[in-house]
Amino acid sequence: MKKEKFYKLLSENEFVFLDGAMGTMLQSKGLETGGVPELLNLTKPEWLTEIHSAYVSAGSQLVYANTFGANRYKLAETGKSVAEIIPAAIANAKNAVGDKALVALDIGPIGQLLEPTGTLSFEDAYDIFREQIKAGKEADVVVFETMTDLYELKAAVLAAKENCDLPIICTMTFEQNMRTFTGCAISSMAITLEGLGVDAIGVNCSLGPRELEPVVAELSKWTTLPIVVKANAGLPDPVTNTYDITPEEFAESYVNLVKYGVKLVGGCCGTNPDFIRAVVKKLDGMKYTRPEVQLEAAVCTPAKTVEINQPRIIGERINPTGKKLFKEALKRGDIDYILNQAIQQIEAGADILDVNVGLPDIDEKEMMVKVVKAIQSVTDLPLQLDSTRPDVLEAALRIYNGKPIVNSVNGEEGSLEAILPLVKKYGAAVVGLTLDEGGIPKTADGRFAIAEKILDRAQKIGIPKRDVFIDCLTLTASAEQKAVMETINALHRVKTDLGLKTVLGVSNISFGLPNRELVNCNFLQMALTNGLDLPIINPNAALMTGAVRAYKLLTNIDENASEFIAAYAESSMTTSMSSTSSAPVQQKSGVTDLPTAIANGLKSEGAKITEELLKTHDTMDIVDNMLIPALDKAGAEFEQGKIFLPQLIMAANVAQAAFEVIKSHMSAGGETVSKGKVVLATVKGDIHDIGKNIVKVLLENYGFDVIDLGKDVPPETVVEAAVSHSVKLVGLSALMTTTLGAMEDTIKLLHEKNVPCKIVVGGAVLTPEYAEKIGADYYAKDAKETVDIAKKIYAE
Amino acid sequence: MIITSINRTEAFRYLGIKSTPDNATLQLADECEKILLAEMAPKFCWSYAEIFKHSDTSVKLSGYTLSLDGNDISAHLDGCIGVVLMCATLGNNVDMLLRKTQTQDMAKAVILDAMASTAIEQVCDEAEKKISARLENKHLIWRFSPGYGDFPIEVQKDFLSALNAQKVIGLCANSSGILTPTKSVTAVIGVHKKSVQNKKHSCESCNMRDRCNYRKTGGTCQ
Repeated sequence: MKKEKFYKLLSENEFVFLDGAMGTMLQSKGLETGGVPELLNLTKPEWLTEIHSAYVSAGSQLVYANTFGANRYKLAETGKSVAEIIPAAIANAKNAVGDKALVALDIGPIGQLLEPTGTLSFEDAYDIFREQIKAGKEADVVVFETMTDLYELKAAVLAAKENCDLPIICTMTFEQNMRTFTGCAISSMAITLEGLGVDAIGVNCSLGPRELEPVVAELSKWTTLPIVVKANAGLPDPVTNTYDITPEEFAESYVNLVKYGVKLVGGCCGTNPDFIRAVVKKLDGMKYTRPEVQLEAAVCTPAKTVEINQPRIIGERINPTGKKLFKEALKRGDIDYILNQAIQQIEAGADILDVNVGLPDIDEKEMMVKVVKAIQSVTDLPLQLDSTRPDVLEAALRIYNGKPIVNSVNGEEGSLEAILPLVKKYGAAVVGLTLDEGGIPKTADGRFAIAEKILDRAQKIGIPKRDVFIDCLTLTASAEQKAVMETINALHRVKTDLGLKTVLGVSNISFGLPNRELVNCNFLQMALTNGLDLPIINPNAALMTGAVRAYKLLTNIDENASEFIAAYAESSMTTSMSSTSSAPVQQKSGVTDLPTAIANGLKSEGAKITEELLKTHDTMDIVDNMLIPALDKAGAEFEQGKIFLPQLIMAANVAQAAFEVIKSHMSAGGETVSKGKVVLATVKGDIHDIGKNIVKVLLENYGFDVIDLGKDVPPETVVEAAVSHSVKLVGLSALMTTTLGAMEDTIKLLHEKNVPCKIVVGGAVLTPEYAEKIGADYYAKDAKETVDIAKKIYAE
Repeated sequence: MIITSINRTEAFRYLGIKSTPDNATLQLADECEKILLAEMAPKFCWSYAEIFKHSDTSVKLSGYTLSLDGNDISAHLDGCIGVVLMCATLGNNVDMLLRKTQTQDMAKAVILDAMASTAIEQVCDEAEKKISARLENKHLIWRFSPGYGDFPIEVQKDFLSALNAQKVIGLCANSSGILTPTKSVTAVIGVHKKSVQNKKHSCESCNMRDRCNYRKTGGTCQ
C-alpha cells in the first residue's frame, strides 16, 4: 500500500524533507516566463532528472514531479494531453530518485476561479482533478498545493479519495492577514480537510518562512495532522525577479517553526537545492515536537469558523413547512426569496442556518444543491443540511463549501447505516435524534440510551465524538405536558454524562397554546441552563434571540456584555423586545400616499400605505392606478435626465415593497396580479449580471413575473425555461465582446426550436444594429426601455 | 495598498449622474463607500519587460512567451523600449458584497458597483505611482488594457500567467476572458527612455465609440 510507504517515511524520521522550487529551477535553465513548464517533461526530460537528482542529493526524501499545472485547462493550447504529460513527469522523477525518495503527483490550482466568483463549476473542477489523478497513479503521494480556494481543494480531495489510494497532502497559500486570497481562514482549512480525511496539511508559497510563523502557529491549534511548510525564499522583486533571503537565513527561520509541530519541510518559489541542504543541516539533531491539541466541536465555511463552545443559534426559517409563501417561492424557483430569508436571519443574530427545501412536488435534490450554492454565494454562515433523504444529504454534503452539520440521523438501524457513512466521508458534524424503531421514548432514560447508541455507532466508523450533536426532541407541552421535563433531563444527561453537544428545536413546545412566545422563551431558558448548545429557533423573533444573548451575558460567556451591548445599545429594549420583528423602528415621514412614497424612495412607508389601501381598494386598482403610474412618472423623469439610476431603482424598491404586501394579501385569496412571465438571463460565459438584475427589479414592479435564470446561463437552459413557462418575452444580457457569441447562440437555439417568444437584448457592448444582426427582436438601451418593450408585447 | 476614499465624482459619472445627486443617493453613497472600503483588499503585481521585436501588428517581449497583438497596442507602444505588465484587483470579498447587496437592495448595489469600478482605477493609479518610482530614469505612458482597440481580450489568460497573477494576487480569467474577481484590471504601460508627451486617449481606438454617451453630447471620458 502506498499509504504505508508514506507513513513509514513519517515514522522513521524526525522530519521529512521535501524539495524546493521547480519553476525557479526551470527558469534558470532557460524556461521563458509564461511558458508551460510541464511540456519540458517531454521535451527536456534530462532537465527534470537533473533537478530531481540535485534535490535528492541535497537531502529531499519526497520530491514533487513536474505536474503542477498539468491540467486540461492549462494544457489546452499545447497540443498535449494530461495522460501524456503526467506519466512522463512521474517517470522522470522516479528515474532520477530511484529508491532514495518518494515521488509526489503535484497538483496546483486549475487556473480559473470556481463559482460563485468564477464560472467553473464544482463538478467540472472535480472532473479536471480526476483526470490528473488517474494519470498519476504511479506516484507515491498526491499533493495539492498553492491552493487559495477551499472549495477547489475540496473538489480535488474528493477526486483523489474516489479515484486512487494515495496518501494526500494539502497545502494552501496564506497572506499576512492569515487568510488566503479567497478569504479562507486557517481554522476553516484545518477542520474541513481533517474532516475529509487527508494525511497532512500545511502552507506553501506567498511568504518566506519568517513571515509564515504566525500562520503555522495558528494552524497548529486547529489540527492533529502532520504539518507541512514549504516557504518561499522571502519576497520577490518585480524588476529582477529574484528573492531576498539566503539559504542560511531560510534554514534559520525553520528552526523557529519546529515547536509548532512541523513535520514535512521544503521550499517554494525562489528556493533551490542549497536551501534544502541548509535546512537539512540546520534541523539535524532537532526533535519533532507535536504540541498537545484538543480539538473542540466546530463547523465552518471558508471565511467563518463557528466553535460550538457556547450557545449558538441555528436559524430555522429556511424550511417550507407551514409557510405558504416559502412553498410558492420554491415551486417558482425563486432563489432570491430564500436568500432574503437567509440574510434576515443572519442580521437578526443567527450563527448557523438550517436549510430544508423538502416539498413533494419539487426535485428536492436539485433544489437543495441550488439553494446551498446560492446561500454560500452571499453569506459566510455555516449551514445545517436538513433532509429526510440520504441522497439529498449526500448531494448537499458534496457541494457544501466547508464543514456543515447534517440534520439528521436517528437510532433506527436504517438511518444509522445510511447517514453515518456520509457524515464520515464528507467530514461533517451530525445531529442525532433520540428516537428509533420504537418511536420517541417517553423517558429521559430511554432517550439517553439512544443517544449513547448513536454515539457508539458514530465512533465505530471513525466520526469523532465532538462531531455528534444530540437532539433530545421537544414534544408539545399542550399534548404531553409531563414529557417536557423528560426532554430537559435527557438533554442534561447527554451533556454531562456523555459530554456531547446538544441541539434542540424549541418552537414546537408551545404548539396549540396561547402566548406561544412566552412559553418558547421560558423553555429555551430552561434548556440553556441545562446545557443546550444549539437552539434551533426563529432568530427574527427578538425575544428568542434576546433570551440567548441574555443567557450568555448572565453566564459570563459574553464577557463585559460586549455582544449584548452591541446588539441592543442603539435600539430601545422595550420596543425591540415587544415586537416579533427585529426591523428598526420606523420613522414618521408624514407621507400618506403611494405615489409620493415611490417618488421619494420611502420603502417602509410604501408597504404600510399599501396595507392601509388594501382595506378599502381592490388590488388591481392599487396596481394599475397608483403603483404603475407612479413608476411611469419615475421612468419618464429618468429618461429626461431629471432623476438618475439610483433614484429610479429606489422608486422601484418602494413599488417592490408594495407588491410584496399585495402578493401576500392575494396568495391568501388565490388571485394573481401577474402581467405575464418574462425569462431573463445573462448569457453563457458572462458573469456581469448587475444590469440584468436592474431590469428584473423594474419588470417585477410593473407586475411581471420574472423567471431569473441568473448568470453564465447555457442556451439550452434559456430554451427550456422559455418553453416550460411559455413566455412571450426572453431578455438576454451580455457585457463583453467575447460573450456576444453566446448571445447569438442562444438566439439561434430559440429560433431553431421555434420557441414562440420575442427576444430583447441589452448590455454595454451591444448596438441596435448588432442586436438586429444576431436575430434579436428588440434592443433595449436600459432597464426602462426593456419595461416599455415588455409592456408593448404583453399588451398585444 | 491602502485607499482611504472613493472618488465620488467619478463613481457618479459611471452612474450617469450629471448634476448633484439627490439626498437619498448621497446618503446611500456614504453608506456604500464605508462598506466598500472595509471589504476591499486591493492588490497589484507587475513586471518590467524589454521589447525585443516591434512590428505594426505585434510587440514581443524579451524572456516572455506573451505577445501583445493588434495594431492599436503596437501603435500605442511606438518608440517604447519596454513595457510594464501590471494587474490589480479589489479581491474576492467585493464580489461577495456585490452579490449579496443585489439580493437586498439594487439601488445600493448599483452605487456600490460604480464605486468599486472607480476604486479599482484608483488602485491602478496608485500602483502606477509606485511602479514609476521604482523605474528610475524611465518614463511611463498611459495604461492600455486588453479589450481596448484591437488588443484582444482573449490575451487575458496568457497575460495573467506571465505575471503569475493567480499565485501572486489571486487573479484569474474565465474562458470568456472575464477577470475574476470581477473588479480587476490588467494593463500594459509603455516605457520610454526619454520623457514624452503623454498621448491623449483616442476615441478612434475605443470600442465604445459608437455607443459612448460622452461622445453623443460632444464630450469625452477624459
